Order: sequence, then C-alpha cells, then structure tokens
Amino acid sequence: MDRRTAVRETYDRIASHFASTREYAWPEVETFVEGHEGRLRSGSVGLDLGCGNCRHAELLAGAGLEHVVGLDVSRGLLETGRERALEREFDVSLVQGDAATLPLADGVVDIAVYVATLHHLPTRTARRDSLDELARVLDSDGRALVSAWSTAHDKFDETEGFDTTVEWTLPGGEAVDRFYHIYAPDEFEADLEASDLTVLEWELSSGNCYATVAGSER
Amino acid sequence: MKESLLEILCCPLDKHDLELEDAEYDGDEVVDGVLVCTECGERYPIEDGIPNLLPPDMREESPA
Repeated sequence: MDRRTAVRETYDRIASHFASTREYAWPEVETFVEGHEGRLRSGSVGLDLGCGNCRHAELLAGAGLEHVVGLDVSRGLLETGRERALEREFDVSLVQGDAATLPLADGVVDIAVYVATLHHLPTRTARRDSLDELARVLDSDGRALVSAWSTAHDKFDETEGFDTTVEWTLPGGEAVDRFYHIYAPDEFEADLEASDLTVLEWELSSGNCYATVAGSER
Repeated sequence: MKESLLEILCCPLDKHDLELEDAEYDGDEVVDGVLVCTECGERYPIEDGIPNLLPPDMREESPA
C-alpha cells in the first residue's frame, strides 16, 4: 500500500476520537482570519486544506464568504466535519482530495488555511507539490496560512528535520501510528521559498512553524 | 455538494473542468452522481453528497 494511502486509512480509523479532541480553533488561525477579513468580499472562496473536523472551516464560514471548502484525504474525518457543521449551523462544502494534487481550479481561492497537515505528507516531493498546488489555487491577491510541526517543539531533541511516527491511542487502548515529517524551522522556510508561494511573514509559535503566504505571480 | 461548487472544482490530474452526470438531488444538494473530466474522461463519484476527488491511485475502497 502506498504511504499516502496509509495516511488516509490511519485517519479513517481514528476519525471520531481524533475529532472529539479537536474542539477549538487555534489562536494563530483566529488571528490570521481576523487580520484578513478586510480582504474578503461577497463571492470570496475560503479553503480549509486538511480540514479534519472543520474547526477552521467554521472560522472561515463566520467571515461571510460565498463558499468555504473543507478538503481532507480522510472520508472519516470529513464525516466528523459534516456533523460539526450540522450541530453548529455553518455551511461548508466538503471535498475528499489529496493536498498534493488539488481538485480546485487555478486562482479561485481568496483565503486558505493549511494547518497541521503538510507534515503528514510522506515525501518531500509530495510536500513541495502541495505548496505549489496551494500557490496555483490562490487568487493573485489571495492569502494563506501554512503551519507544520517543528523540531522547535519541546517534545523533540533533534535539530534536523526527520520522519517519524506518533502514536494515537484510541479509547480502548489501541495505538495507531501516524506518519509525521518533523520540520527543522530553516527547512520549512527553505521548502516555502523553493515553492511557487511568496512568503510574507513567518514565525515559530508553540513548537509549530507558521507562514503567511501569497500565491504565485501571474 | 452544491452544484455551484462545480465552478471551482476541477480534475485533480489535469485540472480541466468537470461535468456532473447521473445527478440525484435532495433540495439543492447533489447527493449522488459522478463528476467526469471533460478532458481525460476520468470519473469521480459523489458519495452521499461528498465528491471523492482523490487521484484514482489513492481512491481504492477502504474497509468500512
């Protein structure tokens, strides 16, 4: 089985429990969305790339967009997003897709969050492809927030980026391994710089790298 | 999915437009049908209202 398929199957297995522990939007994402509300107009499209249970799609839906797309590789996670949207009465268009081969047309996205997902793509090629894909779908005036887990987190002693698995323990005690590429901060920055995205700002916060980016020049 | 979503979706492989076939509706929601690439002809199912636009090599059915 190919490793990208393995990541999908892992999240299908743990979807319900995982989603139940992902209640709140991250403050860094709230700040990003609030800071860009002025750019949004009626007809704008938002994208939550690697949406999981749609906690960040919910933030975008509150910003008055025409469409909010929640895209994830895992059908199980998309179902948790559907439940959340029903319970909390927000609109999200759910799409099953791969972050490295996006099923979205060029330049249609005005605002995107790509949070805690990039590090699950199992090869550097796939990670770089996904950054180029994000650049492709962003409007020329669009903005995105990209985050990934990094070696700066207290959990890690390493200073170079590395591949690992992190266990997810289900309520019955069963542990399920999840693939991660833990980025070194300078490696994260280098991958962004090498991509078609334009880096506007970047920071380390709570052991994660965050970059605010614009799409490619067209 | 809403049919208006077709304006922004595309084939993940070649990025060409998709056409909706065999659609079944519940109000303005498309709950079943197939999205077909106008260029390469690849077919993507809409499963219980959610389009499955994974590239075909990642799409095989996972155990329920």
